[in-house]
Amino acid sequence: MTPRTLRRLLAIWLGVLCVCSMLIFCAVRMDRTRSPTGPYVVSIWERGQRSARTVVASEPEHALAGEAARRGTQRVVERIVDSAPILLHSWLLLGHSLVPARDGLSATYQGRTAYATPDDLLALEAYEHIVPLGPLSLIMGIDVNKVLAALSRELGTEPVELLRHASFRRFAVTSDSGYPREFREADVTVDAVRKSIQDAARYLARNQRRDGSFRYELNAVTGGDSEDYNFPRHAGATYFLARAANQLHDTVLARAALRGAAFMKDRFTLHCGAHACVGEGDQVDVGSSALAVLGYAELLAGGNEEFRAPTLDLAGFLRSQQRADGEFQHFYSVSEQHPIDIQVEYYTGEATFALARANRVSGDARDLEAARRALSFLVTRSAWFLGSHYFWGAEHWTCQALADLWQRAPDPVALRFCLDWQAVNRNLQFEAPPAPADYDGGISRGPFMAPRLTPTASRLEAAVATLEVARAAGVPAAEVALLEHQVKRAFAFLLRYQFSPGPTHLMPNPRQLAGGFPGSPLDLHVRIDYPQHAAGALLRYWELEQK
Amino acid sequence: MRVTFGVLNALSALVLLVGVFGVVQPRFWALDVPLTAIALVLLVSAVGLLAKLPWALRALTVAAWVSFALGLLVVSLILLTMVFLRGIHGDFGVAALAVSSLIVALLVPYTVVLPALELLWLKRQSAESRP
Repeated sequence: MTPRTLRRLLAIWLGVLCVCSMLIFCAVRMDRTRSPTGPYVVSIWERGQRSARTVVASEPEHALAGEAARRGTQRVVERIVDSAPILLHSWLLLGHSLVPARDGLSATYQGRTAYATPDDLLALEAYEHIVPLGPLSLIMGIDVNKVLAALSRELGTEPVELLRHASFRRFAVTSDSGYPREFREADVTVDAVRKSIQDAARYLARNQRRDGSFRYELNAVTGGDSEDYNFPRHAGATYFLARAANQLHDTVLARAALRGAAFMKDRFTLHCGAHACVGEGDQVDVGSSALAVLGYAELLAGGNEEFRAPTLDLAGFLRSQQRADGEFQHFYSVSEQHPIDIQVEYYTGEATFALARANRVSGDARDLEAARRALSFLVTRSAWFLGSHYFWGAEHWTCQALADLWQRAPDPVALRFCLDWQAVNRNLQFEAPPAPADYDGGISRGPFMAPRLTPTASRLEAAVATLEVARAAGVPAAEVALLEHQVKRAFAFLLRYQFSPGPTHLMPNPRQLAGGFPGSPLDLHVRIDYPQHAAGALLRYWELEQK
Repeated sequence: MRVTFGVLNALSALVLLVGVFGVVQPRFWALDVPLTAIALVLLVSAVGLLAKLPWALRALTVAAWVSFALGLLVVSLILLTMVFLRGIHGDFGVAALAVSSLIVALLVPYTVVLPALELLWLKRQSAESRP
């Protein structure tokens, strides 16, 4: 090949690429900012099911008025703002052609058009198609099979036939459903925060069984309950309830916290060597015992003396699991009675925080020393690994331990660590624009995915703890102001999506879900740790503002 | 140049093989088969060039054209995917653009520039060898 031929070849390639790019971009783009022009998709929802739908070109306020007048119904109008064709009849392209939580899909087949609006896709739980690829779980766009099945039912055909012969368009809507609610940084007031905490705590109390266990994970759109259970999360929910009860002086929450703690103390406390530990089966983890210590210590602070001895015993177990370098052995074999030196995420931070709190109860210098050493282990960054400033674990418990220890064993290295981590989180925070306004303040998990609430919430627990220490330690005002701004924006994001009351038209039983925090704008499940982390962060902030 | 291209092709083959079988997990035929085929073609041409075998230039021609064509195809697909996602999601921020651009920038030297240089050199070789 001569240089001239190469230049020609590259020029042709570049030209073809530019033309193809322009054609694709112009074909698929939508203008979400323009005013709705219709048509209007009017739906009637009853107990989480769509019972009627009509599509009108104008005056949507009069559509389905008779059906909307029936008791227990909700009418939702989704106004189509803009639409664009879906390229080719490809399963893969269709899956990646919708923006989660914002776009709907219409299919026109043999002269008839069916609409799968954002509400329909939320109800179908079709916005995320998770494909397991070895140890990974990849999100491959929307769940095309679910959407095609729903549209083909409406159009009286088969999904395969629909994919081959229908004409598809994606569309953007504005909805009058009121979810997510409008909530800005300026709306994050002490009163709003208090109400949110109370609602979330009441959610947990409402969904507690008589034996003290919780309904682990409720699906808002089906009303179903998960069979799974997890002791660290049970203990975490109990800890939050006890804190909320103490701070808000709420007897309903106090009773729920007591039931949750008794569930662990009376039914799932085992012997791990010379000490007690929480869990079941042949092997237990330190996370359950650590979070149980936090819950018991809060109940003690509320005057429940019966939790003193269990707190001290569990603290002894945590100390016995600590290695010489400050790290913990995260598991204990109950059947063989020995520690297992394996580490997983979260537990070291939880044990550190628990020992810091246990020291307040016990006054035992060994607890304080163990917590101090563990915190130091967590925040030590190798000078040989430059990436340590850019790669972070989940450090939400670490920074809460920092705050708890600050008056008794201040660790400036840990403070720098937490400030740096929050600076990284600030970089990951969605900012609108260019992000959608609803996502402003949420922590990004990728440019094409909706943010999840709990990663934002757990980082907020740490952010508020860091803020507390930063103020006390005299960190420069500019850095503190950045942290405050970050915290309030993140709270606004959480409060936008809290079920207060949430998308009640999609829920068979909205009352059961009231106050809960969902997994994400797409995942309307409430697991017990979602309100625990979100409202736990809010409670920490509320306490700080009270001071 | 013969030795330089031999070494570079051997390195490219090694990077591809280590990348596919050492880094990327789990196995996925749609990625494994074409990348392994390219790596083998590159490896064969590298052996031919370094050992000064009679068919070395022919092997290099095949390897360079295969790499050049597939390189342009891969870069095109990445750029068109970026444009498609930009059209679907709107302005999704600097991070996604930076990551995609970084991938393209890392690929271009191996998949486009190196084979193009090889093809230019091959042309000069054939011109010089003509009586």
